Amino acid sequence: MENDPVSRSAVSGVTGEAATRLVVADDDVLLREGIASLFDRSGFDVVGQAGDEADVLALVRATRPDVAIVDIRMPPAFATEGLRVARIIREELPDTAIVVLSAHVEVDEAMELLATGERLGYLLKSRVTDVAEFIDTVRRISAGACVVDPSLVQELVHARRRRDPLDALSPRELEVLSRMAEGASNAGIADRIFVSEGTIEKHVRSILFKLDLPESASDHRRVLAVLRYLEAR
Amino acid sequence: MDASLDAHEFRVLAEEQASLRRVATLVARGATQHEVFSSVTEEVGKLLPVDFAILGRFEPDDMIGTVASWSATGDAFPVGTRWPLDGNNTVSMVFRTGRPVRIDDYDDASGNIGDEGRERGYRSTAGAPIIVEGRLWGAIAIGSASNDSVMPPETERQLVSFTELAASAIANAESRAELAQLVEEQAALRRVATLVAHGVSPTEVFAAVTEEVGKLLPVEYATLWEYEPVGMATHVATWGTVAIPWQPGDRVAVGGKNLLTLVFESGHSAHMSNFADATDAFGEFLPSSIHARAASATPIVVESHLWGVIVAGSVGGRQLPADTEARLADFTELVAAAIANTESRTELIASRARIAAAADETRRQIERDLHDGTQQQLVSLILELRAAQSTTPQVDELRAQLGRMALGLDDVLEELREISRGIHPALLSKSGLNSALKALGRRAAVPVEFDLRSNERLPAPIEVAAYYVVSEALTNAVKHANASAVSIKLEVCRGVLLLAIRDDGIGGADPSLGSGLLGLTDRLDALGGRLLISSVPHQGTSLMVEIPIETRVVMAAERRDS
Repeated sequence: MENDPVSRSAVSGVTGEAATRLVVADDDVLLREGIASLFDRSGFDVVGQAGDEADVLALVRATRPDVAIVDIRMPPAFATEGLRVARIIREELPDTAIVVLSAHVEVDEAMELLATGERLGYLLKSRVTDVAEFIDTVRRISAGACVVDPSLVQELVHARRRRDPLDALSPRELEVLSRMAEGASNAGIADRIFVSEGTIEKHVRSILFKLDLPESASDHRRVLAVLRYLEAR
Repeated sequence: MDASLDAHEFRVLAEEQASLRRVATLVARGATQHEVFSSVTEEVGKLLPVDFAILGRFEPDDMIGTVASWSATGDAFPVGTRWPLDGNNTVSMVFRTGRPVRIDDYDDASGNIGDEGRERGYRSTAGAPIIVEGRLWGAIAIGSASNDSVMPPETERQLVSFTELAASAIANAESRAELAQLVEEQAALRRVATLVAHGVSPTEVFAAVTEEVGKLLPVEYATLWEYEPVGMATHVATWGTVAIPWQPGDRVAVGGKNLLTLVFESGHSAHMSNFADATDAFGEFLPSSIHARAASATPIVVESHLWGVIVAGSVGGRQLPADTEARLADFTELVAAAIANTESRTELIASRARIAAAADETRRQIERDLHDGTQQQLVSLILELRAAQSTTPQVDELRAQLGRMALGLDDVLEELREISRGIHPALLSKSGLNSALKALGRRAAVPVEFDLRSNERLPAPIEVAAYYVVSEALTNAVKHANASAVSIKLEVCRGVLLLAIRDDGIGGADPSLGSGLLGLTDRLDALGGRLLISSVPHQGTSLMVEIPIETRVVMAAERRDS
């Protein structure tokens, strides 16, 4: 595989089920190939690659993948084409999971993306180098989660406020809040910080109460609500 | 005649001398012309003696205006009365001949003045010219109603003695008036020159020039126009005692018969004694709206190209003095200097703006290169390392090494992202000033409260300048002021971006000491903006920034560039 990083051969997932089908869109060929090969190696079925906005839309319509990995800045205008692609795919093929990669993450873009629905990820491009973590994140998104890059969440959480409502939270609660904003489920948070899911549920209820936030029906709504709160507090 | 004077003759001569001395004393004292003229008519009337004495000034349209008048019986000709110089009478004959005259039998007199004299019962009259520095200025006339007397033979000589005194009083007054006018003109020129030297906006200079010209000449209005390349002229400024129908910025076509066009075509001063002949917008609008009569116009030449014209004019029946154009020209030189100054300042500002914009563009390019080039390459390299790591399962040591390399490169990547953010805030061009400022606030080490009252996108150089000012202010608030909170207010008010940044720190910042803000003043200057720092000890530091979103100066510079 080292000699053939572009291999498109369908490799079965570890579980034996049909492999997750995936497309990669980035105008940088080297990086795109690197990412494709990474997924290939990790048991995904990379069904196609694209280098600009029009190509990736055509590719997605033709191949109907489970996941689209999309660079935010692509030809033609090198602006926020990735966000537009996500919106269009979401409308036409709502089941497709979309991961938007960006050289830097901004709260406005995260909100814009998450507002389009579920199964979304908004991540720093450099996250792909932590291969195991990245693959796990993409699997979670494919399975329905919403994921926001931790660096953005950290920036929001650590922004200083004169009368900061977050001061009411314990350090543990602040950590749980951050994980919620990143898009982790209660079970995910529990796994991450080695406590039971029940304990996390108690933390979550306490946080929502202290910050006067409503309970959310879905993780996706929860992420949006927390982000919006953090940005506006 | 006997050489010795008899007592009567002596008395007459003495009276004459005394009378002349009284008038001469008045002249020497610098009395007003009015005082001198009144005294002349009274002294002449009493000395000779006659029933009336009148002093008049010849006017350009063959008229004489009564300037002073005396009568033994108290029914003097009213001062200010104007008479036509027709027929044969003392005054008209003095006017025609420029010499003393006499009419011993007034039945022979004719013309308006002759008729009036006969009606008043005058029998004999005499007159003499008033000659001021060689020009026939006016006349003095005397008359007697008594039937039996003709004027004594020395009457003309006596009259001339008095008219000479009157003439020197007039010459004195005229040179004083000329001097006063010169002083006034110099003062007006100096006021305008001071404005020019202080580099005030051309708009202010133009307004001042029209006002000074209007008051000095004096005229009822003075109006300044700039010629455009496309056969139009733009109204720049006007001063007037009458309501002038144009606003600054109004345009009229150059063409037809009017002063705008005459000056445009000849490049020289022009004069119109009557607007009745004028045509087209400029020629017809003024007379119909303000009864414009005569006007003079002088070109404004800036660095040997015809820039515009100043027009000064009268309304109603008044004509303008012949030297009007020459006096206008003194001002047009100052106007030209002001324009040349402003143009070179505009060039300077525009070139500074270009330099700042070029620097911004370079930084933006570097940032993009870092993101799209270097960073991407690093990510690719790390991915390859990870791939190598995953495909060498047997060699633990090598795998660990590859892992460390990948982690090291991760750090490089992170550092690079920070650096590129410092070089140019990509968010600024992408999402605008508000998003970029909020991001700055989130990353600041102090709480930042925002009051952002405008969300409109502004020209890139303005957004960049505002961003850097806030960035620098936040750095200072943390590093130097020990502030615990910063508030930032942004609004756009009447085409000006206003930015107020206040902290609650120790204050007392010396703006002259190495503050990074100083480096930003150049950038603000280039945009026609300014920065005010107020930093009282223990009262925090306030920065106020004003940046005009569009300025005439910058527009002018762009027009020239295009």
